Amino acid sequence: MTITPQLLFGQLLVGLINGSFYAMMSLGVAVIFGLLRIGNFVHGAQYMLGAFGAWFLLQLPTLFPGLGLPSLGYWWALAIVPLAVGAIGALTERFFIRKVYDLEHAYGLLLTIGLTMVLEGIFNARFGAAGMQYEVPALLKGGVNLGFMFLPVYRLWVIVAALVVCFGTWFLIERTKLGSYLRAATENPDIVRSFGINVPRLLMLTYGFGVGLAGLAGVMAAPIYQVSPQMGQNMVIVVFAVVVIGGMGSILGAVVSGLALGVIEGLTKVFYPQAASTAIFLIMAVVLIWRPAGLFGKDTAVHSGAEVVTARSESILENGRLWFVVLAAIGAAVPFFVYPVFAMKVLCLALFASAYNLIFGYVGLLAFGHAAFYGASAYVAAYAAAQWGLPPELSILSGIAVATALGALFGWLAIRRQGLYFAMITMALAQIVYFYILQAPWTHGEDGIQGVPRGKLFGLIDLNDTMAMYFFVLVVFLAGFAFVYRVVHSPFGQVLKSIRENEPRAISLGYSADRFKLIAFTLSAMLAGLAGGTNAIVFQIASLADVHFSTSADVLLMTLVGGVGTLLGPVVGAVIVATLQKELAFLGGWVLVIQGAIFILFVLFVRKGVVGAIEDFLSRRAVRRRNAEASAASPARAAKPGT
Amino acid sequence: MGGEGEDYIVEATGLSKQFMGFLAVQNVDLRVRRNSIHALIGPNGAGKTTTFNLLTKFLAPTTGTIRFNGEDITALEPAQVARKGMVRSFQISAVFPRMTVADNVRIALQRKLGTAYHFWRSARSLRVLDQRVEELLAAVGLSDDRDRHASELPYGRKRALELATTLALEPEMLLLDEPTSGLGHEDVDRMAELIGSVARQRTVLMVEHNLSVVARLADTITVLARGQVLCEGDYATVSEDPRVIDAYIGGVDA
Repeated sequence: MTITPQLLFGQLLVGLINGSFYAMMSLGVAVIFGLLRIGNFVHGAQYMLGAFGAWFLLQLPTLFPGLGLPSLGYWWALAIVPLAVGAIGALTERFFIRKVYDLEHAYGLLLTIGLTMVLEGIFNARFGAAGMQYEVPALLKGGVNLGFMFLPVYRLWVIVAALVVCFGTWFLIERTKLGSYLRAATENPDIVRSFGINVPRLLMLTYGFGVGLAGLAGVMAAPIYQVSPQMGQNMVIVVFAVVVIGGMGSILGAVVSGLALGVIEGLTKVFYPQAASTAIFLIMAVVLIWRPAGLFGKDTAVHSGAEVVTARSESILENGRLWFVVLAAIGAAVPFFVYPVFAMKVLCLALFASAYNLIFGYVGLLAFGHAAFYGASAYVAAYAAAQWGLPPELSILSGIAVATALGALFGWLAIRRQGLYFAMITMALAQIVYFYILQAPWTHGEDGIQGVPRGKLFGLIDLNDTMAMYFFVLVVFLAGFAFVYRVVHSPFGQVLKSIRENEPRAISLGYSADRFKLIAFTLSAMLAGLAGGTNAIVFQIASLADVHFSTSADVLLMTLVGGVGTLLGPVVGAVIVATLQKELAFLGGWVLVIQGAIFILFVLFVRKGVVGAIEDFLSRRAVRRRNAEASAASPARAAKPGT
Repeated sequence: MGGEGEDYIVEATGLSKQFMGFLAVQNVDLRVRRNSIHALIGPNGAGKTTTFNLLTKFLAPTTGTIRFNGEDITALEPAQVARKGMVRSFQISAVFPRMTVADNVRIALQRKLGTAYHFWRSARSLRVLDQRVEELLAAVGLSDDRDRHASELPYGRKRALELATTLALEPEMLLLDEPTSGLGHEDVDRMAELIGSVARQRTVLMVEHNLSVVARLADTITVLARGQVLCEGDYATVSEDPRVIDAYIGGVDA
């Protein structure tokens, strides 16, 4: 391929445009994270809201025919929509985000994921996935012929406007009194609280401001990109990667990295198009190795794993031997009452969620890219069975091998950072796998690998028989379940627990915490691979949905609903979520909205999940009983309630 | 470098630590004699805890070298330093709150089994340690609290548990960061007694504010002020040094 100046400058321009949007979006995410310590995943949906807002204003006469409303064009949108979106943001802060400030960072991210599902789900159900066109305003139509290329005026305007907005925000934050409060609050919210500043209002306005920036970016994007419910989905993950690269706590870092990365992405399109969509994520990986705190970042002390709840190990709900037998018995009976194909789906998901729980629940690391391991294994297993003609057990093993290797690599990269960063990094790394699978020739893009033969297990048992297949899946699930239990209740598991409880102390006892986390992460990826590979054989297909980000969100939802850090939680969560998805399938696109709402409800009100809530009840009863005994024995000493 | 006839377990030379332009520790030389109790004292902000963090590699020194048993450990990870036999405690009590008292001690003991990475083995394999757990708990008077969660213990008992956990590693050298801070009168005495008995077979370096404890226990005292060594010697020498008195009176909150 020859590189013409037209191509080069054309892509450079596209890169600058994208970079302008990345810069504006990263700015908002960085400001919100800096002050609120919230990883605002819903930023992409808020950007989408901005674009739709512009479209609505234009369509007012068609949308509300009887009211005689005028059609408001681009310039009106530019003025009204950011304020409206910002106001919606402020209300969101007031009614949702505010409730999770005092919780672990993980919950802020989970909450905004739920909000994203609800917002995108509503627009998807109402307007469909197809994009809408938005005309370039008359004033900015046409272009300038620069001789070597044609420069559309609108694009020039976007770049200039974005720079002005970014510089303005920088000025506001670095050079004004309001900004100095904001920065002080970023450094130490408690001290600013003690100044007598109305911190809740400051936080609400900051969030509204950051969201307003996303809305503004959305309006500016409307004439360039298609206005569609999904337009913010990939954007937000890219923006998270940009923020990791730039380094948290640096406004300028967010802006400069956003612009630069957009340009680099554009240039990649010229010189090595295959890597264009992953360029930013790959750069992130390199930056993490070289400068873990980010290019402009100060190493903010966001340490310690997520303080997620774990059940008492002596609880009956944590008795692995007992529940292994119970689950085996239930599993053996189920196919005679329930449609076996559905039961197999649930078993695969339950195994996947148990694998995920190993890292999120028992190590306290909010991993957010487990679809990469599940999906990669599904594709490899499907390919091995369909193309190489391997028997099912070897196909699944091939999948597991790849998932394990990916897990070790991603874990090695991600464990350099903790808390929210860890989530953002695993999310970005998983996107590399997604784009690779989308583009690689052997995976058949949108079609996926279809018609995967189930084959004969060990050359003997024909898995085309539904019952044979079912019992194979049941055995796989039980083995995975037992494995997780063994890991948690092993000498290794004890050390993991001590690291989660008090990492510096565990280190001071001579345990290299990062190595333990890495092993746990790899084991979790391996089991996720087992689930993904098995799923591909059962359903005879590996599809893009398996590697898509939404699969990572699903497994998180299942674990959360069932009970993070409990033995049975992931299983219960998988049953609940899969049943809901099946029973509510007739609602079509609204299922996503309902899932998002469940996410939000559980984050706000049932953080311990279903099993955790039961465990709480049992635990309170146990403490009451113990106290009664203790006060009978020695009235002076009564134990405080344990957690 | 080792002094003739003197046996130093730790020799730190030229230690400095800079935090964004602020020199927290400045060119500190510190030598700790084997099987002695060495106290590190000084006013607030003198750099005592930073020195601790440097020695145990929880912070990387900006300059300087640290030798432990003659071996250069400047480049090691904190967990590696601990495995060499130099184990620290923390200023705020450091227990594993939602583990039982016995499990807290067992975690430390299990390192010696060499099965820490064995994720395929049952945790029951750790029961061989039970007897040693009992001994250690008895030594600090926590036998009756064996099955309680560490979070349920009163503060003084937590510190005792922490010491038992540290001792479980049988370290050659203990670094105790304010072991008596926050303790009631009786507990201070008990803790001082414990430290004294522990130090019979090993070296102790401690940061301590309670000067009567220092006077009672320490063989050598190093006084730090503003990140530098002010003077060193036994209690009598140090307590009469005018610079020390000046540092304490003039330098509070400096």
